[in-house]
Amino acid sequence: MKRSTIRHIPTAVLLVLLTGAMAAVSQQPGAQEPPVPGGEDVTVVLEGRLRSQFRLAIPEFDGLALLSPDLRRAADEIDRTLRSDLEASRVFRLQGPEDLSVLALTGDLTRDFELYRSLQNELVLEVDVRPEGDKVVIEGRLYHLESGDSILGKRYRGSPAVARRIAHTFADEIILALSGRQGVALSQIAFYSDRSGFKEIYLMDYDGANQRPVTAHKSISLTPDWSRAGDTIAYVSYFSGAPGIYLVDLATGRKQPVVTEGSLNISPSFSPDGRKIVFGRSLGSGNTEIFVANRDGTGLQQLTHSSGIDTNPAWSPSGREIAFTSSRAGNPNIYVMDAEGANLRRLTFEGDYNDGAAWSPDGTRIAYASRRSGRFDIALTDVVTLESRLLTSGPGSNETPSFSPDGRQIVFASKRRSSSTRTQVYKIELDGSGIRQLTKEGNNFSPSWSGFPK
Amino acid sequence: MNRKWMVTVWIGVLGVSVLMLGCPKKKPAPAPVDTETTTVAPAEDVAQPTAPSTQEDKTPDPLAGDIVEAMEYAYQQGLLGDVYFDFDKYDLKPESRERLAKNVEFMKAHPEFLFTIEGHCDERGTIDYNLALGDRRATAARNYLTSLGARMDNIKIISFGEERPVCSVSAESCWWRNRRAHFVITGRS
Repeated sequence: MKRSTIRHIPTAVLLVLLTGAMAAVSQQPGAQEPPVPGGEDVTVVLEGRLRSQFRLAIPEFDGLALLSPDLRRAADEIDRTLRSDLEASRVFRLQGPEDLSVLALTGDLTRDFELYRSLQNELVLEVDVRPEGDKVVIEGRLYHLESGDSILGKRYRGSPAVARRIAHTFADEIILALSGRQGVALSQIAFYSDRSGFKEIYLMDYDGANQRPVTAHKSISLTPDWSRAGDTIAYVSYFSGAPGIYLVDLATGRKQPVVTEGSLNISPSFSPDGRKIVFGRSLGSGNTEIFVANRDGTGLQQLTHSSGIDTNPAWSPSGREIAFTSSRAGNPNIYVMDAEGANLRRLTFEGDYNDGAAWSPDGTRIAYASRRSGRFDIALTDVVTLESRLLTSGPGSNETPSFSPDGRQIVFASKRRSSSTRTQVYKIELDGSGIRQLTKEGNNFSPSWSGFPK
Repeated sequence: MNRKWMVTVWIGVLGVSVLMLGCPKKKPAPAPVDTETTTVAPAEDVAQPTAPSTQEDKTPDPLAGDIVEAMEYAYQQGLLGDVYFDFDKYDLKPESRERLAKNVEFMKAHPEFLFTIEGHCDERGTIDYNLALGDRRATAARNYLTSLGARMDNIKIISFGEERPVCSVSAESCWWRNRRAHFVITGRS
């Protein structure tokens, strides 16, 4: 049978040739069968010259018939999620069971490899599933079709509740092996929503699944920002009266005030080391300036001094700079200064209203909302050359961008659907393609994409 | 927040009522009908509010009871009114100064009231910048009121940015109503 054939493929060291590049291969001990919370290497790790896309066949999972209905549902969810993650990564062009149904697969690996190749595939992912008590075990092996070499083998075991997590983990492993890039399938997006009738902070998976509230203040809570460690979210809430800055510990749900004194404390952004928060704060005379404080609220310090509005700061990934919005020259524009408040320079010169700077993870550019001809679009500006381009061109108003941890996508809020005046969260590739709506219920605003999960 | 104040005030009112009920000396005086409080005057004519009545009255002073009702009454009577702003602006237009001049008369006549001025914006600006802009709008209104003699310590400000619109249609017919400084009576000093 097919399953037993796969098991007899040796997990040996092999020199893998992909796209003519010599690939260095390292051996992992052929360890078998341990429980796998994070996955277990059973074959090789591939390095080498990177390709933009691989053509990958994923036939139907083997062993589905042996699963209970519950585990079958979990396996189907893993299947769907895995395919969706691999496609979203843009590292692969997939052929699924439907595309492959034209093939008369024999169950003999070597023969079947030729059949997959006949449809221009370069790789095949064979996945076995089996029950183990109330858990499902999935074992996947990725083969290079031309050489017949096994590139990657992983085994995961878990309850149906963690099915999506298993799929995301496996997808990121496959993406890493073939592209050398860390995948984003386990990252999260924070945002705020009025779906409950109040404005609360919510989280969702990177693909829009699993949306759940993290606050229940029954007030107005808004503009979440992730700590780089991914354990804390800073946000603004009105629940005690005037808008103040709070932190929520995601593991415990515990809320902690940072700065709540005064009439206006808004738009928090974590320092990369997670120790400080930079934010906009009104001096009480209608003048909002940029302030920084330790995460416990001590050490409050004013960084800007202008008669214009200075607000909505974003700490750079290096920790050395802070981008923010200022109306000191008239209209709101994005400026950058060093983290001590010195060496100010202006970054945006196009559009008549620029706000909401978000740094790319490598710190080379910022995304922001730029109003040109009466509508906000997401713009990108290189912080060194100041070259600027628009990522969106309508429809509707497009605001509050935030980069994915790999810097390849941007999540933002938009009223782009003409059928509805509601604001929803969307994501888009940095080349402007592949826009996808992530939220549906109520209005949803101000998304913040987490870093890579630790 | 307002609800909290309401509860506090209600508790206060109940407390006073209980005290009065528990006091046997004073008998309720016969209640003459006060024409001043039963006649609804046009808004323009009530810039100078009447002094609090010293007489017991069947018709209670609408400004003496629940603060939410007092505020609604003040708005209905034109004693208080919102002021409106141009897009992305916080400077006071001439009609706004006129409106604030009326508001300040009410505020001076009722030093017992605590006020919050809410700064609001329309949806066309950005969320974050609008929070700062709303603060400027509320502050501009407060500063003008205090220049006319209002008591600074009776007035708080808060910005809601674009988070609490009175109107949610995406058109100027609605947007102008959202670009406002709104007056709320939050309690009694």
